[in-house]
Amino acid sequence: MSTIVLQLFIAGRTPRTEHAIATLQVLIVERLAGYPCELVIVDVLTDPQQAEERQIFATPTLIKESPLPQRRIIGDLADADGLLTALGLPPARLPS
Amino acid sequence: MDSADNQLVAFSDADARLQAVVNVSLEGVLIVDGDGRVRFVNPVAAALLHRRAEDLIGRIFGLPFMVGEVAEIGLLRPSGNLLITEMRTAAITWHGEPAQLIVLRDVTKQRRAEEALRDAEGFSRTILNSLAQRIAVLDDQGVVVMVNDAWHQFAVAHGDEQLRKTGVGVNYFDVCLTATGVGSQYAPGVLQGMRDVLNGELPFFDHEYSADSPDEERWFHMRAVPLHGQRRGLVISHTDITDQRRHGWAVAEANALREQLQARERELLAVSTISGTGRSVARTQRAESVLRVDSPAIFLDCVEQYSALLDAAIEARSFDTAPNIQVSARALAVRLGEQHAVARDVVEIHLAALRSRSIDASPSRQQAYLEDGRVLALQLMGYLVTYYRDGVVV
Repeated sequence: MSTIVLQLFIAGRTPRTEHAIATLQVLIVERLAGYPCELVIVDVLTDPQQAEERQIFATPTLIKESPLPQRRIIGDLADADGLLTALGLPPARLPS
Repeated sequence: MDSADNQLVAFSDADARLQAVVNVSLEGVLIVDGDGRVRFVNPVAAALLHRRAEDLIGRIFGLPFMVGEVAEIGLLRPSGNLLITEMRTAAITWHGEPAQLIVLRDVTKQRRAEEALRDAEGFSRTILNSLAQRIAVLDDQGVVVMVNDAWHQFAVAHGDEQLRKTGVGVNYFDVCLTATGVGSQYAPGVLQGMRDVLNGELPFFDHEYSADSPDEERWFHMRAVPLHGQRRGLVISHTDITDQRRHGWAVAEANALREQLQARERELLAVSTISGTGRSVARTQRAESVLRVDSPAIFLDCVEQYSALLDAAIEARSFDTAPNIQVSARALAVRLGEQHAVARDVVEIHLAALRSRSIDASPSRQQAYLEDGRVLALQLMGYLVTYYRDGVVV
């Protein structure tokens, strides 16, 4: 099973971004329990290079790097269930 | 034309109409496909992102995810600057494919202004909360619109835990109008003073009042000053001035005591002159000749002895009815006489004992030290006079 890699691009630590981070942590711990997950948080204010390389236009932006297909979501990241649907997660398990 | 061609023409017309509308929109508009890839961008959106439209087409902006009708997102410009925008979305069909219409409104200035206001309010509140004075802000009708922590704590400590009588929303003028109990006789004057300040007839209003608690008498200073700025109102502060008052009383007591002791000393010198017997007499009073300087160890010992007497006097609550205290006081007088002590020495011993005993003492105990101490010091001085006159203290 490949690792689910999520990248969150934020601009500073505001109550809104803290809320988004908390939602993603709930999503990983509760909804994706049993799946290997990795959440990378990038602050575009302190790491503009990454934002430029990844061509980030808005914050918060959540990117599902893997599994493919890649998905990029912007907006109000405050609904764990809705996010799962939008990201196409959890990945369908291959028949054994 | 077949039906597929008709459909294509219809789509093209609809897309063209939509494009014409969004091109003149005052808000930024992007259209993204199912992957979040930019398919269309209007000039305002390009300007918000500080990029040319052709540099945005085909790039992945992201799929909008909304919980409510509006989401707040930051737009990152190539310079690294961030714009704050409100985002609204609608599902549309664009060139025959499902797409998302994203409308962006720049709210950066508005948010910055709100942030600055919050910072300013937080700053003011922090300052107000750092003060020991109880402070309330009233509007022009006398309604409390803000109180600081000290005000809150005082209300809680005095039984108004929910701040129903003195908290935000309460009319402070009505509180004065309906005041009863101790100090209520001053309420009409206080109310008038506050109104005079509010109407600009007085620059400020001051009022000192006492408020007795079960344990002690406390004094407060109230001040009302006008609220400067767009809103008319008042800032009310109450400061506990009990310690200042006590200090004032202590100074007055010390002065009164000094005068009385000096009178005794004059009596003592007269006795010495009349008797002329060469008996032990007080030193000539000179600035450099004091027991504290000449014999510091004895001075400290006498302070300790006097302090113990002071404690005993307070416990007995009556110097005259405590024979043991009188015996000890006479012994101390003899000891001071042997050191040729003068009135200044007695005052210094008295004040040193008061200082050491008042540290950490309750206010009521401090008051008792002041009152009982004066009696004790006078009695001691009387015994000292007797010693110098008769050679003994009976």
